[in-house]
Amino acid sequence: MNDKPENRVEKIVESLLRGRRLKLRGGDAEEKEAITAAARLAGVRQGPQRMRPEFRKRLAGKLVAAPDAGWITRRAALVAGLSLAAGAAGGGILSRAMEPHAGTAPVEPIEPLRAIWIDVGALGDLPEGQGKRVTAGGVGAFVFRRGGSVTAVSSVCSHLPCELSWQSADAYLLCSCHPAKFTSEGHALGSYSLPSLNPVHARVTAAGRVEVLGTE
Amino acid sequence: MRPEERAEVVQLPAGPRAADIALDELELVYAFIYARVGNRADAEDLTQQVAMKAIPRLRQGAPASAIRGYLFATARSVLGAFWSTRLGLSEAELREDLALAVPTSPPSEEGVDTVQKILAQLSDNYRRVLELRFLHGYSLKEVAAEMNSTVGAIKVMQLRALRAAAKVRVPE
Repeated sequence: MNDKPENRVEKIVESLLRGRRLKLRGGDAEEKEAITAAARLAGVRQGPQRMRPEFRKRLAGKLVAAPDAGWITRRAALVAGLSLAAGAAGGGILSRAMEPHAGTAPVEPIEPLRAIWIDVGALGDLPEGQGKRVTAGGVGAFVFRRGGSVTAVSSVCSHLPCELSWQSADAYLLCSCHPAKFTSEGHALGSYSLPSLNPVHARVTAAGRVEVLGTE
Repeated sequence: MRPEERAEVVQLPAGPRAADIALDELELVYAFIYARVGNRADAEDLTQQVAMKAIPRLRQGAPASAIRGYLFATARSVLGAFWSTRLGLSEAELREDLALAVPTSPPSEEGVDTVQKILAQLSDNYRRVLELRFLHGYSLKEVAAEMNSTVGAIKVMQLRALRAAAKVRVPE
């Protein structure tokens, strides 16, 4: 009875409509047209599909861990992870920007593979506590003077990959793409629990010059 | 290695945008695969296979369109292997059944449009049974009641309707 083609195909259809994996067996090949057609119909039953947020996050993690995946940065994975919920809801860049993120994972400083120290100006030219946008090859950063020392954070937002700007009156870094704000230490401000900005290595030389670890 | 997998290395833009672009493109790949296997578990497995096969080859500097082409070539290959393994047939025997052309419309429209075109070419009874079963989620019993028929007859009609649907060719 169950070996009748209509019964076999019905079993597969029922399984597909319940969202289960395709389980086929010997003899099903004879109904390959009907089975592939059933899969396609089941595929559109609930409209276009997007990845589950958990799956997208897992995929982002695997991309980071993949051999030869040096092109993908930890921040990139975080950015990908952050866009999950809004992406699943079919939102675009704006809704992604507004998506809050639970948890603030520790962030690592930017360590370029072929790093070199690049002079970005004199310490005396930096106003105390005010951010100055500098470029050290491929690394963009905001440098802050604190007495005789300096600190620096990435100039790219930890949520959307947009350039930040220093708001001197209010003393915070503002994302150009959405209302995310960060302190001069790179910590997120406001109701969005975003990851902190990546620290950038910076130092003051004996000659009073400020150098940032960047690339050629 | 399949010919499409021997394609030249595609290059991604550098920096944080790389992962976003790759994942956004993989989102399209997922929709493409889901529309052909009809279930989430297999779609996730296959999308992950695509990512693992394709991503290590992607490097700095190419437009998203090139990335998409490479990912879809890999997706077609992975889907072909999936059906071939599940049905125990060579990919050559399956080629015409799998509808693996890369969609020109966004996934939000692709699958639905294609299925509507397919259904439109079926006889009234075949179209009705597939609509009720797949698009409205009716059980066989409910379809039988709706169509004043028996479960056994609807089961046979469903098989014939699926065979007929498979024969309809619509440009994708």
